[in-house]
Amino acid sequence: MAEMWISMGPQHPMTHGLWTLKVKVDGETVVDTEPDLGYIHRGVEKICESRDFTQITTYCDRLCYASANTWSHAYIYAAEDLLEVEVPERAEYIRLVAIELQRVASHLMWLGAYGPDIGNLSVMVWCLREREMMMDLLQELGGSRMHYNFPRIGGVKRDLPYGFAQRARAKLKLFLNRIQEYEALFDESTVFLVRSQGVGYAKPEEMVNHGVTGPNLRAGGVNYDIRWAHPYSVYSELDWAPPVERSSIKGADCYDRYRVRVEEMRVSASLVLQALDKMPGGADTYHEPEDPMILAKAPSRAPEGTTGAHHFEDSRGESMFYIAGGGEGRGKQPYRVSIRSPMFITIPYAAKCMIGYKVADIPAIMGSFDPCIGETDR
Amino acid sequence: MTSSDWLDVAGWSESFSNWSMDNVHDVLPSGDIDMQVTIPSTWAWPEPITMGPIFNMQSGFASIQPALESFMHATIMCTVVFGMMMTTMLAIPYIERKFIGRLMDRLGATTTLRSLWVGESGVTAGEWWNQLPFGMGAPIGWVVNALNSTWGNSHELETVARVNNRSYHGYWFLLPGFFQAFADFMKFATKEHIVPKNADKVVFEVAPVIILATTIMVFAFVPFGPHIYAANPELSLLFMMAIFGIAPLGVFFAGWASNNKYTLIGGMRSAAQLTAYEIPLLITVLGVAVLSGSFNIIEIVDFQMGQDEGNVWNIFLMPLGALLFLVTMIAEVERIPFDMPEAEAELVEGWWTEYGGIRWGLMFAAEYMRSYAACILFALFFLGGWEAPFQHTLSNLPAVGGIFSTVFSVIPGLIWVLLKAWLLFAVFVWIRASLHRVRTDQILEFGWRYLLPLSMLNLVIATILRLQFWTGGPWDLWVPAAVTLVSGGLFVILAIDEDEEALEIQRRPYSTQAVVKASPGSHRK
Repeated sequence: MAEMWISMGPQHPMTHGLWTLKVKVDGETVVDTEPDLGYIHRGVEKICESRDFTQITTYCDRLCYASANTWSHAYIYAAEDLLEVEVPERAEYIRLVAIELQRVASHLMWLGAYGPDIGNLSVMVWCLREREMMMDLLQELGGSRMHYNFPRIGGVKRDLPYGFAQRARAKLKLFLNRIQEYEALFDESTVFLVRSQGVGYAKPEEMVNHGVTGPNLRAGGVNYDIRWAHPYSVYSELDWAPPVERSSIKGADCYDRYRVRVEEMRVSASLVLQALDKMPGGADTYHEPEDPMILAKAPSRAPEGTTGAHHFEDSRGESMFYIAGGGEGRGKQPYRVSIRSPMFITIPYAAKCMIGYKVADIPAIMGSFDPCIGETDR
Repeated sequence: MTSSDWLDVAGWSESFSNWSMDNVHDVLPSGDIDMQVTIPSTWAWPEPITMGPIFNMQSGFASIQPALESFMHATIMCTVVFGMMMTTMLAIPYIERKFIGRLMDRLGATTTLRSLWVGESGVTAGEWWNQLPFGMGAPIGWVVNALNSTWGNSHELETVARVNNRSYHGYWFLLPGFFQAFADFMKFATKEHIVPKNADKVVFEVAPVIILATTIMVFAFVPFGPHIYAANPELSLLFMMAIFGIAPLGVFFAGWASNNKYTLIGGMRSAAQLTAYEIPLLITVLGVAVLSGSFNIIEIVDFQMGQDEGNVWNIFLMPLGALLFLVTMIAEVERIPFDMPEAEAELVEGWWTEYGGIRWGLMFAAEYMRSYAACILFALFFLGGWEAPFQHTLSNLPAVGGIFSTVFSVIPGLIWVLLKAWLLFAVFVWIRASLHRVRTDQILEFGWRYLLPLSMLNLVIATILRLQFWTGGPWDLWVPAAVTLVSGGLFVILAIDEDEEALEIQRRPYSTQAVVKASPGSHRK
């Protein structure tokens, strides 16, 4: 059969968002791919230039609908670097709890979406069931279900509510047991193994050259986790290690990326449990909002010439904010906000990874890279 | 022994046809009448045709009466079988919905099975068996309590809470969700019919008709009971398998005529897959025919239940054949893990992407009908059709055998066929809920390289069994026992393919690669 272009998207089950993947196929084999992004560009960077520093947090929440909390924290750390704020330690621990719970929720969303990608609907319902527990915990912190607006410059909005630690421990214990159910459904299923192993090889050196980060890179054997390599917050206080797969000679396949994310859920859950144990002042005490234990005073203006930047380990890779002070209102607003999105870099590379595989492998490969279009298009 | 069943629909229909035609014959005028009918030559014939002049209506009717009787009989039987098929098929989407809902919503297969005896209880229906009249549900209650105390949680409420992850509001006897199929049909029927602009319009319209018509035609040869069938030719097995293979043509038509790249790929996948699985399926069915010595489905069932014939269900004689039939049938009806032609992840909806409204609904119904036909055929070929489990053994028990034989003679065979078919469909759903989708090339490789040789092996086994071990009467008991034991042992041996040492060292048994963890605290240096 002659080669033909198939335009998968902008509304297609494979896309996990609003984008187009143009695929050139020869029968069932993928010959060429061309990603087409930009359908939901909202101009967040430009909007931020006309907002106060505190107002920007909500916009950063909306960068990624699956992992809102990590993105608002990514901004907060950069803003604190710009405004030179010392954050109380208890607030850092609370942030760590929020971030890691969000990471678990995001990975659960990914695993739940990856099941239907290769034909199993049960795992989606199972994962969303467990994600619901994480969302309930995050809702206790932030007050809303998806866009929490939880961090503040200099701390967090609220302390842990009464009984939060107990509930979090119980739910995480249940969740850690249920990860084994997913593994029973995935790792012990030969059908899943033949679908994911040996498919969508990504070479570590190519990924480094392209700038791919996060679990996708760690699946290739590169031990680069910003929480580990350049620890921020209180990650260096806790006992943990980033899960890294040993890459084969061909690189990381879909199975490696799956393994890394499942292990990362375990690590994140254990981080939350450790943080609850080590919380300064105890996880069961409650401080009123704006208490100095959880929120430090922060200046509202950044003079011209000051800059702030922060590398942040998002659920999908390295996200980075660069903020230049000295905007409108004598520095009340930023002059420029620049966002580095990990998926914007990963998606073109993932599209390249598909060449040579079958049409049926397209969702399997694309889904294993965990695309999120909200942050990609910004 | 021919199967006996008091639900003799075919006999009733035949006697009704004879009786009514006799009545018609009797009320016709008996004398000769002077009647001359002339058909003018201008219509079609070169010469004018003249009937009469003397015509006796009774003797004239008598010459066509047998034809009219069989026509009326066939009409009644077709109506009965079609109605029976459509009404009993409503259980199929219900089973799919309910069972998969449990599998997905609850905590895996074990809890799902437990939820069947716990029921939708707790805050909703409670111990539903107590609501049955005259205390009929008491045995159910004993069984449930026994199962709960054995495999349930120690605390009854805990089981209920674990199982009852969600609740429904309604009464169990209204079968909540059962009538959803009607609502779905209403929705499909009222939708607008859209034909793509550049589609091949004639073929686009014809394809669903081909698919649906051939699917319904399959049921003409599927007996629901010993006397419930629309047609029973001598070679009904071959006939039915031939018609089963027509629908892929319609699928290919639909994929091509829609003028859409997704449907095109889906149609081609469907054609390739069905070709690869039709041949092992036919050879497996041939094994059944060889073992039972007949191409007639009713005779195949009779061979399994007749005391002076085989008297052993075929599944105990060729478990390999049953497994092959199950796998190839799942591929034939395009269900997960073999639903590549309609893989919604990459092909949107495969070959029926462009269909909407009632055409989509009917094709979906055809899909379920094919699944249903596959389940019934499995029950007929391998599970003894309309014979109750251990019917003869239980009936020949010394003391209580009489009670059992009375009970079995009251229950029509139809019930057993339906129960077996529905149970098998639950297995289909279970497979769907727990497996992923296999890739096209893997499906084809599996079909050509594994199923085809295995089905040939099955044919050889069936031939040897028939020629060497069948003595003309019932099977010697050691034959099915030996076959079952050997097959079960092989299955267990093949299922244990895990390396015990690897399991102990590595938590992930199938992983080819190990997690390398950096030593904790190395970043604090």
